[in-house]
Amino acid sequence: MAKLKLALYWAATCGGCEVAVLDLNEKILDVAAAADIYLWPVAMDYKYKDAEAWPDKFIDVCLFNGAIRNSEGEHLAKLLRAKSKVMVAFGSCACFGGIPGLANVADREGVFARVYGETPSTDNRDGTRPQTSFAVPEGELTLPHFYDTVKTLGQTVPVDYFLPGCPPAAKQIWAVVQAIVAGQLPPPGSFVGVAEKSVCEECPRVKEEKKVTAFLRPHQVIPQPEKCLLEQGLVCCGPATRGGCGAQCINANMPCRGCYGPTERVTDQGAKMLSAIASIIDASDEAGVKKVVDQIVDPLGTFYRFGLPNSLLTRVRV
Amino acid sequence: MQRVTIDPITRLEGHGKIEIFLDEAGEVANAYFQVPELRGFERFCEGRPVEELPRITPRICGV
Repeated sequence: MAKLKLALYWAATCGGCEVAVLDLNEKILDVAAAADIYLWPVAMDYKYKDAEAWPDKFIDVCLFNGAIRNSEGEHLAKLLRAKSKVMVAFGSCACFGGIPGLANVADREGVFARVYGETPSTDNRDGTRPQTSFAVPEGELTLPHFYDTVKTLGQTVPVDYFLPGCPPAAKQIWAVVQAIVAGQLPPPGSFVGVAEKSVCEECPRVKEEKKVTAFLRPHQVIPQPEKCLLEQGLVCCGPATRGGCGAQCINANMPCRGCYGPTERVTDQGAKMLSAIASIIDASDEAGVKKVVDQIVDPLGTFYRFGLPNSLLTRVRV
Repeated sequence: MQRVTIDPITRLEGHGKIEIFLDEAGEVANAYFQVPELRGFERFCEGRPVEELPRITPRICGV
Protein backbone atom coordinates (compact mmCIF):
# COMPACT_ATOMS: atom_id res chain seq x y z
CA MET A 1 0.00 0.00 0.00
CA ALA A 2 1.30 3.43 -0.89
CA LYS A 3 2.16 5.60 2.06
CA LEU A 4 -0.26 8.33 3.00
CA LYS A 5 0.71 11.87 2.06
CA LEU A 6 0.29 14.12 5.10
CA ALA A 7 0.49 17.89 5.43
CA LEU A 8 0.46 19.82 8.70
CA TYR A 9 0.02 23.57 8.67
CA TRP A 10 -0.50 26.38 11.16
CA ALA A 11 -2.22 29.71 10.67
CA ALA A 12 -2.96 31.96 13.70
CA THR A 13 -1.81 29.56 16.38
CA CYS A 14 0.72 29.01 19.14
CA GLY A 15 2.37 25.79 18.01
CA GLY A 16 0.87 23.80 20.87
CA CYS A 17 -0.96 21.61 18.36
CA GLU A 18 2.39 20.71 16.77
CA VAL A 19 3.72 19.74 20.18
CA ALA A 20 0.56 17.71 20.82
CA VAL A 21 1.45 15.68 17.72
CA LEU A 22 4.93 15.13 19.15
CA ASP A 23 3.25 14.06 22.42
CA LEU A 24 2.50 10.84 20.58
CA ASN A 25 6.08 10.09 21.70
CA GLU A 26 7.42 6.88 20.16
CA LYS A 27 4.17 6.40 18.22
CA ILE A 28 5.33 9.23 15.95
CA LEU A 29 7.56 6.54 14.40
CA ASP A 30 4.41 4.58 13.50
CA VAL A 31 3.05 7.72 11.85
CA ALA A 32 6.30 8.03 9.90
CA ALA A 33 6.02 4.36 8.85
CA ALA A 34 2.48 4.84 7.53
CA ALA A 35 2.76 8.32 6.09
CA ASP A 36 5.16 10.68 4.38
CA ILE A 37 4.95 14.22 5.68
CA TYR A 38 5.11 16.70 2.81
CA LEU A 39 4.67 19.89 4.74
CA TRP A 40 5.20 20.75 8.40
CA PRO A 41 6.79 24.17 8.91
CA VAL A 42 7.63 23.72 12.58
CA ALA A 43 9.64 20.57 11.93
CA MET A 44 10.64 20.40 8.26
CA ASP A 45 11.87 22.71 5.54
CA TYR A 46 9.67 23.52 2.57
CA LYS A 47 8.49 26.67 0.86
CA TYR A 48 5.02 27.86 -0.07
CA LYS A 49 5.98 27.64 -3.74
CA ASP A 50 6.56 23.90 -3.28
CA ALA A 51 2.98 23.46 -2.06
CA GLU A 52 1.69 25.66 -4.89
CA ALA A 53 3.37 23.33 -7.40
CA TRP A 54 1.57 20.19 -6.19
CA PRO A 55 -1.29 18.90 -8.32
CA ASP A 56 -4.77 19.28 -6.82
CA LYS A 57 -5.69 16.56 -4.28
CA PHE A 58 -2.01 15.56 -4.06
CA ILE A 59 -2.16 15.37 -0.24
CA ASP A 60 -4.29 12.65 1.36
CA VAL A 61 -4.84 14.35 4.72
CA CYS A 62 -4.10 17.91 5.81
CA LEU A 63 -4.11 18.64 9.55
CA PHE A 64 -4.67 22.40 9.66
CA ASN A 65 -4.36 24.19 12.98
CA GLY A 66 -4.82 27.86 13.75
CA ALA A 67 -7.50 30.44 13.18
CA ILE A 68 -7.75 32.58 10.04
CA ARG A 69 -6.46 35.97 11.11
CA ASN A 70 -5.01 37.49 7.94
CA SER A 71 -4.85 37.08 4.17
CA GLU A 72 -1.89 34.70 4.40
CA GLY A 73 -3.86 32.30 6.60
CA GLU A 74 -6.79 32.50 4.20
CA HIS A 75 -4.52 31.89 1.19
CA LEU A 76 -2.93 28.84 2.80
CA ALA A 77 -6.33 27.49 3.87
CA LYS A 78 -7.61 27.75 0.28
CA LEU A 79 -4.39 26.41 -1.20
CA LEU A 80 -4.22 23.41 1.11
CA ARG A 81 -7.94 22.73 0.69
CA ALA A 82 -7.39 22.48 -3.06
CA LYS A 83 -4.32 20.28 -2.63
CA SER A 84 -5.83 17.90 -0.03
CA LYS A 85 -8.34 15.09 -0.33
CA VAL A 86 -9.25 15.37 3.35
CA MET A 87 -9.08 18.61 5.34
CA VAL A 88 -9.04 18.31 9.14
CA ALA A 89 -9.57 21.35 11.38
CA PHE A 90 -6.99 20.39 13.98
CA GLY A 91 -7.31 22.01 17.40
CA SER A 92 -9.67 24.59 18.79
CA CYS A 93 -8.29 27.59 16.87
CA ALA A 94 -9.10 25.96 13.52
CA CYS A 95 -12.41 24.52 14.82
CA PHE A 96 -13.77 27.49 16.77
CA GLY A 97 -11.31 30.42 16.58
CA GLY A 98 -9.57 29.52 19.83
CA ILE A 99 -7.66 31.97 21.99
CA PRO A 100 -6.68 34.13 18.94
CA GLY A 101 -10.43 34.42 18.30
CA LEU A 102 -10.73 36.49 21.48
CA ALA A 103 -9.34 39.31 19.32
CA ASN A 104 -12.89 39.62 17.97
CA VAL A 105 -13.45 41.92 20.97
CA ALA A 106 -11.69 44.49 18.78
CA ASP A 107 -11.15 45.27 15.10
CA ARG A 108 -7.88 45.77 13.22
CA GLU A 109 -7.56 49.38 14.32
CA GLY A 110 -8.22 48.43 17.94
CA VAL A 111 -5.56 45.72 17.88
CA PHE A 112 -3.00 47.88 16.04
CA ALA A 113 -3.60 50.89 18.32
CA ARG A 114 -2.88 48.81 21.40
CA VAL A 115 -0.01 46.72 20.03
CA TYR A 116 1.87 49.43 18.12
CA GLY A 117 1.00 52.42 20.28
CA GLU A 118 -0.44 52.09 23.72
CA THR A 119 1.30 49.26 25.55
CA PRO A 120 3.69 50.53 28.24
CA SER A 121 6.65 48.80 26.59
CA THR A 122 6.02 50.27 23.13
CA ASP A 123 8.21 53.16 21.97
CA ASN A 124 6.87 54.04 18.54
CA ARG A 125 6.96 57.80 18.30
CA ASP A 126 6.69 57.73 14.52
CA GLY A 127 3.49 55.70 14.75
CA THR A 128 4.85 52.97 12.48
CA ARG A 129 2.25 50.36 11.57
CA PRO A 130 2.45 47.23 9.43
CA GLN A 131 1.85 48.01 5.75
CA THR A 132 0.59 45.51 3.19
CA SER A 133 2.99 47.13 0.72
CA PHE A 134 6.14 49.05 1.56
CA ALA A 135 8.72 50.54 -0.79
CA VAL A 136 12.37 50.01 0.12
CA PRO A 137 15.30 51.21 -2.05
CA GLU A 138 15.70 47.70 -3.48
CA GLY A 139 12.06 47.10 -4.32
CA GLU A 140 8.68 46.41 -2.73
CA LEU A 141 8.06 44.45 0.48
CA THR A 142 4.66 43.02 1.28
CA LEU A 143 2.87 41.78 4.37
CA PRO A 144 -0.49 40.00 4.63
CA HIS A 145 -3.67 42.01 5.09
CA PHE A 146 -4.75 41.87 8.75
CA TYR A 147 -8.50 41.34 8.93
CA ASP A 148 -10.94 43.02 11.30
CA THR A 149 -12.43 39.67 12.27
CA VAL A 150 -10.88 36.31 13.11
CA LYS A 151 -12.55 33.37 11.36
CA THR A 152 -12.52 29.63 11.86
CA LEU A 153 -11.14 27.33 9.20
CA GLY A 154 -14.68 26.10 8.48
CA GLN A 155 -15.84 29.67 7.87
CA THR A 156 -13.09 29.95 5.26
CA VAL A 157 -13.03 26.62 3.37
CA PRO A 158 -15.04 23.38 3.47
CA VAL A 159 -13.73 21.15 6.29
CA ASP A 160 -14.12 17.37 6.35
CA TYR A 161 -13.34 16.65 10.01
CA PHE A 162 -13.04 18.61 13.23
CA LEU A 163 -10.53 17.50 15.87
CA PRO A 164 -10.86 20.01 18.73
CA GLY A 165 -8.90 20.67 21.89
CA CYS A 166 -6.38 23.21 23.10
CA PRO A 167 -4.45 21.18 22.38
CA PRO A 168 -6.13 17.94 21.31
CA ALA A 169 -5.28 15.16 23.76
CA ALA A 170 -2.48 12.93 22.43
CA LYS A 171 -4.52 9.75 22.85
CA GLN A 172 -7.31 11.30 20.77
CA ILE A 173 -4.84 12.30 18.04
CA TRP A 174 -3.51 8.76 18.00
CA ALA A 175 -7.02 7.30 17.69
CA VAL A 176 -7.72 9.58 14.74
CA VAL A 177 -4.38 8.78 13.09
CA GLN A 178 -5.21 5.07 13.37
CA ALA A 179 -8.65 5.67 11.85
CA ILE A 180 -7.07 7.60 8.98
CA VAL A 181 -4.50 4.88 8.30
CA ALA A 182 -7.18 2.17 8.44
CA GLY A 183 -9.51 4.21 6.22
CA GLN A 184 -12.14 4.11 8.94
CA LEU A 185 -13.05 7.76 9.28
CA PRO A 186 -16.70 8.61 10.02
CA PRO A 187 -18.86 10.55 7.53
CA PRO A 188 -17.42 13.92 6.47
CA GLY A 189 -18.47 16.82 8.67
CA SER A 190 -17.98 14.80 11.86
CA PHE A 191 -16.08 15.71 14.97
CA VAL A 192 -13.37 13.14 15.65
CA GLY A 193 -11.23 12.43 18.70
CA VAL A 194 -13.99 13.54 21.04
CA ALA A 195 -16.47 12.08 23.51
CA GLU A 196 -20.16 12.10 22.67
CA LYS A 197 -21.21 13.82 25.87
CA SER A 198 -20.09 16.76 27.97
CA VAL A 199 -17.02 17.18 30.17
CA CYS A 200 -19.33 16.65 33.18
CA GLU A 201 -19.73 13.04 32.04
CA GLU A 202 -15.96 12.56 32.23
CA CYS A 203 -15.56 14.51 35.46
CA PRO A 204 -14.99 12.23 38.46
CA ARG A 205 -16.26 14.76 41.02
CA VAL A 206 -19.32 14.14 43.14
CA LYS A 207 -22.32 16.06 41.85
CA GLU A 208 -25.20 16.81 44.17
CA GLU A 209 -27.84 19.48 44.11
CA LYS A 210 -26.58 22.65 42.52
CA LYS A 211 -27.64 25.74 44.45
CA VAL A 212 -25.19 28.57 44.01
CA THR A 213 -25.54 31.68 46.15
CA ALA A 214 -22.19 33.24 45.17
CA PHE A 215 -19.61 32.88 42.42
CA LEU A 216 -16.09 32.97 43.78
CA ARG A 217 -12.66 33.84 42.43
CA PRO A 218 -9.60 31.67 43.14
CA HIS A 219 -8.24 33.87 45.92
CA GLN A 220 -11.53 33.49 47.78
CA VAL A 221 -11.66 29.71 48.04
CA ILE A 222 -9.53 26.57 48.08
CA PRO A 223 -11.66 24.16 46.08
CA GLN A 224 -12.45 20.79 47.58
CA PRO A 225 -10.92 18.18 45.28
CA GLU A 226 -13.85 15.79 45.18
CA LYS A 227 -16.87 18.06 44.87
CA CYS A 228 -18.30 19.59 41.66
CA LEU A 229 -16.56 22.93 41.12
CA LEU A 230 -19.77 24.66 40.03
CA GLU A 231 -21.46 23.57 43.26
CA GLN A 232 -18.58 25.27 45.07
CA GLY A 233 -19.28 28.53 43.24
CA LEU A 234 -16.43 28.28 40.74
CA VAL A 235 -17.49 28.92 37.16
CA CYS A 236 -16.76 25.68 35.31
CA CYS A 237 -17.71 25.32 31.63
CA GLY A 238 -18.02 21.54 31.85
CA PRO A 239 -21.81 21.48 31.30
CA ALA A 240 -21.46 23.35 27.97
CA THR A 241 -18.31 21.65 26.73
CA ARG A 242 -17.76 18.50 24.73
CA GLY A 243 -15.76 15.83 26.49
CA GLY A 244 -12.77 14.01 25.10
CA CYS A 245 -10.02 15.67 27.12
CA GLY A 246 -10.49 13.35 30.08
CA ALA A 247 -11.37 16.34 32.31
CA GLN A 248 -7.69 17.19 32.61
CA CYS A 249 -8.12 20.70 34.02
CA ILE A 250 -10.75 19.60 36.53
CA ASN A 251 -8.50 16.79 37.70
CA ALA A 252 -5.91 19.48 38.41
CA ASN A 253 -8.49 21.31 40.55
CA MET A 254 -9.02 23.92 37.83
CA PRO A 255 -12.43 24.61 36.30
CA CYS A 256 -13.06 23.81 32.63
CA ARG A 257 -12.74 26.71 30.21
CA GLY A 258 -14.40 25.00 27.31
CA CYS A 259 -11.57 24.22 24.91
CA TYR A 260 -13.29 21.23 23.25
CA GLY A 261 -16.14 23.50 22.13
CA PRO A 262 -19.89 22.96 22.34
CA THR A 263 -21.47 19.52 22.59
CA GLU A 264 -23.01 17.86 19.55
CA ARG A 265 -26.50 19.33 19.90
CA VAL A 266 -25.44 22.81 21.02
CA THR A 267 -24.83 25.64 18.55
CA ASP A 268 -23.63 28.35 20.91
CA GLN A 269 -21.41 27.27 23.78
CA GLY A 270 -21.71 30.54 25.70
CA ALA A 271 -25.51 30.54 25.49
CA LYS A 272 -25.52 26.96 26.78
CA MET A 273 -23.27 28.03 29.65
CA LEU A 274 -25.59 30.94 30.45
CA SER A 275 -28.45 28.47 30.53
CA ALA A 276 -26.50 26.21 32.90
CA ILE A 277 -25.64 29.15 35.17
CA ALA A 278 -29.25 30.38 35.17
CA SER A 279 -30.51 26.99 36.30
CA ILE A 280 -28.28 26.72 39.38
CA ILE A 281 -28.54 30.17 40.93
CA ASP A 282 -30.26 30.05 44.29
CA ALA A 283 -32.04 33.38 44.64
CA SER A 284 -35.63 34.29 45.28
CA ASP A 285 -35.98 37.50 43.29
CA GLU A 286 -34.47 39.36 40.35
CA ALA A 287 -32.25 41.54 42.52
CA GLY A 288 -30.86 38.44 44.19
CA VAL A 289 -30.15 36.81 40.82
CA LYS A 290 -28.44 39.95 39.59
CA LYS A 291 -26.24 40.07 42.68
CA VAL A 292 -25.02 36.51 42.04
CA VAL A 293 -24.57 36.95 38.27
CA ASP A 294 -22.61 40.16 38.76
CA GLN A 295 -19.99 38.12 40.57
CA ILE A 296 -19.03 36.48 37.27
CA VAL A 297 -16.18 38.80 36.35
CA ASP A 298 -15.80 38.21 32.62
CA PRO A 299 -18.71 36.30 31.05
CA LEU A 300 -17.58 36.85 27.45
CA GLY A 301 -13.97 35.85 28.06
CA THR A 302 -15.05 32.86 30.14
CA PHE A 303 -18.01 31.42 28.23
CA TYR A 304 -16.49 32.16 24.81
CA ARG A 305 -12.86 31.60 25.78
CA PHE A 306 -12.13 29.32 22.84
CA GLY A 307 -15.00 29.99 20.49
CA LEU A 308 -16.01 33.61 19.96
CA PRO A 309 -15.65 33.44 16.14
CA ASN A 310 -17.69 30.21 16.10
CA SER A 311 -20.48 31.64 18.27
CA LEU A 312 -23.74 33.20 17.13
CA LEU A 313 -22.19 36.52 18.13
CA THR A 314 -18.97 35.90 16.10
CA ARG A 315 -17.56 39.19 17.39
CA VAL A 316 -18.12 42.29 19.52
CA ARG A 317 -19.46 45.30 17.67
CA VAL A 318 -17.00 48.18 17.74
CA MET B 1 18.62 43.61 -8.79
CA GLN B 2 18.14 39.94 -8.07
CA ARG B 3 15.80 38.94 -5.28
CA VAL B 4 15.77 35.77 -3.16
CA THR B 5 12.63 35.16 -1.12
CA ILE B 6 12.63 32.66 1.76
CA ASP B 7 8.96 32.13 2.57
CA PRO B 8 8.24 30.76 5.04
CA ILE B 9 11.14 30.41 7.42
CA THR B 10 10.79 26.91 8.84
CA ARG B 11 11.73 24.90 11.92
CA LEU B 12 10.84 27.62 14.39
CA GLU B 13 7.70 28.64 16.28
CA GLY B 14 5.92 31.38 14.43
CA HIS B 15 5.78 32.82 10.98
CA GLY B 16 8.61 34.59 9.20
CA LYS B 17 9.77 35.64 5.77
CA ILE B 18 13.15 36.88 4.52
CA GLU B 19 13.71 38.98 1.40
CA ILE B 20 17.31 39.12 0.19
CA PHE B 21 18.40 41.53 -2.54
CA LEU B 22 21.59 40.80 -4.52
CA ASP B 23 23.67 43.38 -6.37
CA GLU B 24 25.16 43.09 -9.90
CA ALA B 25 28.07 41.01 -8.55
CA GLY B 26 25.69 38.60 -6.84
CA GLU B 27 26.60 39.87 -3.37
CA VAL B 28 23.96 40.54 -0.73
CA ALA B 29 23.06 44.22 -0.95
CA ASN B 30 20.36 44.13 1.70
CA ALA B 31 18.09 41.70 3.51
CA TYR B 32 14.77 42.15 5.26
CA PHE B 33 13.27 39.92 7.93
CA GLN B 34 9.49 40.14 8.14
CA VAL B 35 6.94 38.70 10.53
CA PRO B 36 3.67 38.25 8.65
CA GLU B 37 1.82 37.31 11.83
CA LEU B 38 0.08 39.08 14.69
CA ARG B 39 -2.64 37.84 17.00
CA GLY B 40 -3.03 40.79 19.36
CA PHE B 41 -2.69 39.32 22.86
CA GLU B 42 -1.86 42.85 24.00
CA ARG B 43 -5.40 43.85 23.13
CA PHE B 44 -7.55 40.85 23.96
CA CYS B 45 -5.95 40.18 27.36
CA GLU B 46 -7.38 43.54 28.39
CA GLY B 47 -10.57 43.01 30.33
CA ARG B 48 -9.75 39.42 31.29
CA PRO B 49 -9.45 38.67 35.04
CA VAL B 50 -5.83 38.50 36.12
CA GLU B 51 -6.24 34.98 37.47
CA GLU B 52 -7.25 33.79 34.00
CA LEU B 53 -4.10 35.06 32.29
CA PRO B 54 -2.05 31.97 33.22
CA ARG B 55 -4.60 30.05 31.11
CA ILE B 56 -4.56 32.50 28.18
CA THR B 57 -0.95 33.67 27.78
CA PRO B 58 0.54 30.15 27.45
CA ARG B 59 -1.07 30.25 24.00
CA ILE B 60 1.34 32.98 22.96
CA CYS B 61 3.73 30.09 22.29
CA GLY B 62 2.89 26.45 22.84
CA VAL B 63 6.17 25.01 21.64
